[in-house]
Amino acid sequence: MESLLYFFSGFRWQDILDILLNSYILFRLYILFRGTNVIRVLFAFCVLWAVSQIAAPLGLIITNWARQGVITIAALIIIIVFRNEISSVLQTKDLKSFLWGIPRFQSHTPLSIIIESVHELADKKIGALIVLPLKQGLDSVVQKGISIKGKLSQEMLVSVFWPDNPLHDGAAIIQGDWITSAGVILPLSKRTDLPSLFGTRHRAASGLTELTDAMVIVISEESGKISLFKKNKTYNIKSRSAMETLLKKHAGDDSVKKRFRRQTIELATAGLISLLCVTGVWLSFSKGIETLATHEVPVEFINPNQKMKIISSSASSVKLLISGARPLINSIKPKQINIKLNLAQAVIGVNKLSITKENILLPPGIQLKDINPSVLDITLDTLIEKQLPIQPNWSGKLPKGLVMKEAEAFPKTIRVTGGGMDLKNISTIFTEPILLDKLTESGTATIGLLLNPTSLRLKESTKIQIRYTISKKSTHKNKS
Amino acid sequence: MKILFYFIVIVLFFAANVCSEQPHAKITMVQAVMCESIENFQPINPGVIFSISSGEVFCFSNFDPVLEKTHVLHKWYKKDRLIFTMPLTLSPPKWSSFSRVQIRDADKGPWRVEIHNTNDILLQTLRFSITD
Repeated sequence: MESLLYFFSGFRWQDILDILLNSYILFRLYILFRGTNVIRVLFAFCVLWAVSQIAAPLGLIITNWARQGVITIAALIIIIVFRNEISSVLQTKDLKSFLWGIPRFQSHTPLSIIIESVHELADKKIGALIVLPLKQGLDSVVQKGISIKGKLSQEMLVSVFWPDNPLHDGAAIIQGDWITSAGVILPLSKRTDLPSLFGTRHRAASGLTELTDAMVIVISEESGKISLFKKNKTYNIKSRSAMETLLKKHAGDDSVKKRFRRQTIELATAGLISLLCVTGVWLSFSKGIETLATHEVPVEFINPNQKMKIISSSASSVKLLISGARPLINSIKPKQINIKLNLAQAVIGVNKLSITKENILLPPGIQLKDINPSVLDITLDTLIEKQLPIQPNWSGKLPKGLVMKEAEAFPKTIRVTGGGMDLKNISTIFTEPILLDKLTESGTATIGLLLNPTSLRLKESTKIQIRYTISKKSTHKNKS
Repeated sequence: MKILFYFIVIVLFFAANVCSEQPHAKITMVQAVMCESIENFQPINPGVIFSISSGEVFCFSNFDPVLEKTHVLHKWYKKDRLIFTMPLTLSPPKWSSFSRVQIRDADKGPWRVEIHNTNDILLQTLRFSITD
């Protein structure tokens, strides 16, 4: 009981919403793809995942390698193999059926019409191939014929297979009380144990029933015999009652109430499994092995006074020690963690700003353990402009016997923008060092300016000309 | 009447001018240079570059006339940092005075000397560099 309480400790309403939302998505996927092979393949992937969980700790190298390879190309395989199913689901124009509609049960197939039609065709020795699908989709198995979507009637069904009808060669597919398509090409069976008297229709019927759960009715054109194919079994129909029994068995001989109850149980089970799966995943994320990690996160400053400028900060990034389940820690991207400091109350000068949990945005499921440094010294200043004189910064050594009498910068002054506190103590802008060693006569040097601190900005970027006058040192000393 | 008005205006103008210039008018600086040495109250090898091998740098300032005893300040800055201030006394009728620093390897870089009068008004700035 205690361990159960531990599991659900710290359960937030967002977690409930998270689990319910994803459970519903999983449930919807089941609803949309049930009856197709997608569900079976997804089950296969679940088995594969379970195998990988066992193979890795046991050190089964090849199994693990093969599993990795399959999972790597799994998405590609699913898209290619199930393109028809996926496109039919995505192309549905009915948003209701896509998002929340639940097909409760298929409309009842009027078996008597089929039986009568089949016997009429048999009596007239008209060859026919009729497919009655069950749960599995046929799209990935058959080559689509002509879409009919005609209401099932004896006349309609017989006319489909009537000689000289362009569609009479293929199979007709009946879903509910509709003939959905005709002229459909079925896959031929490769079985070698089929009776030799079976023609192409029989092989096609056998081929389809080997791959799906559909039932196929075949009427021999030569003998007028009726055969029913279901899975790997073939039934030769001698009477209407025998055929009715088999068709009822195929369609499910339940009453409407019974079928409704069975489908309700199926949907409830699917919903419960979805909920359990997602809850399991959530628990593995949130209550899995606790992992610690350190992230260095840049600090963002919000609501700054437009007249002020950040001159310096004791740190531009902060180390956060965080914990959480390993998958969550591993999946964290830098932009998911934010530190935002509010500068609305900051004043000119040094501001000590504390970083608390309220300033830090973490992804759900991640806990904050430590902040380093937890206090930042932010220096703010107002931007001002100042006209400053330029002074050449000479370096090296003037050749012996020479003296530089004058040196003047052009322009003499320059307008500098920067923090008021910085500029308060600055009264000169110096040039980059100018080497003296090779100067032997008067001339002009073009040089850039050194801005210290680097936060200073020039109104206009300009090169400075230094005009200098060099002459020989006087050897005698003036006397007066 | 008009002439009287102009006369009063001119008198007031000159009076105001004399009053405002009174503190400055006590001294007039005729020369201010940086030099390698001073001999006989004259600067030797004035310039803007001084090698540390010369050992010292002088700031020479010459005032003529000096109407009354007063003093000026030589403020020595390395880059923008005030290194020291030297008050210099000036006596009538004219006076030359200087201040100096001994320079070492660590003093290399751009310097300036600001010459201020007794009211701390800047009279002139001399810019120079100490190099190898």
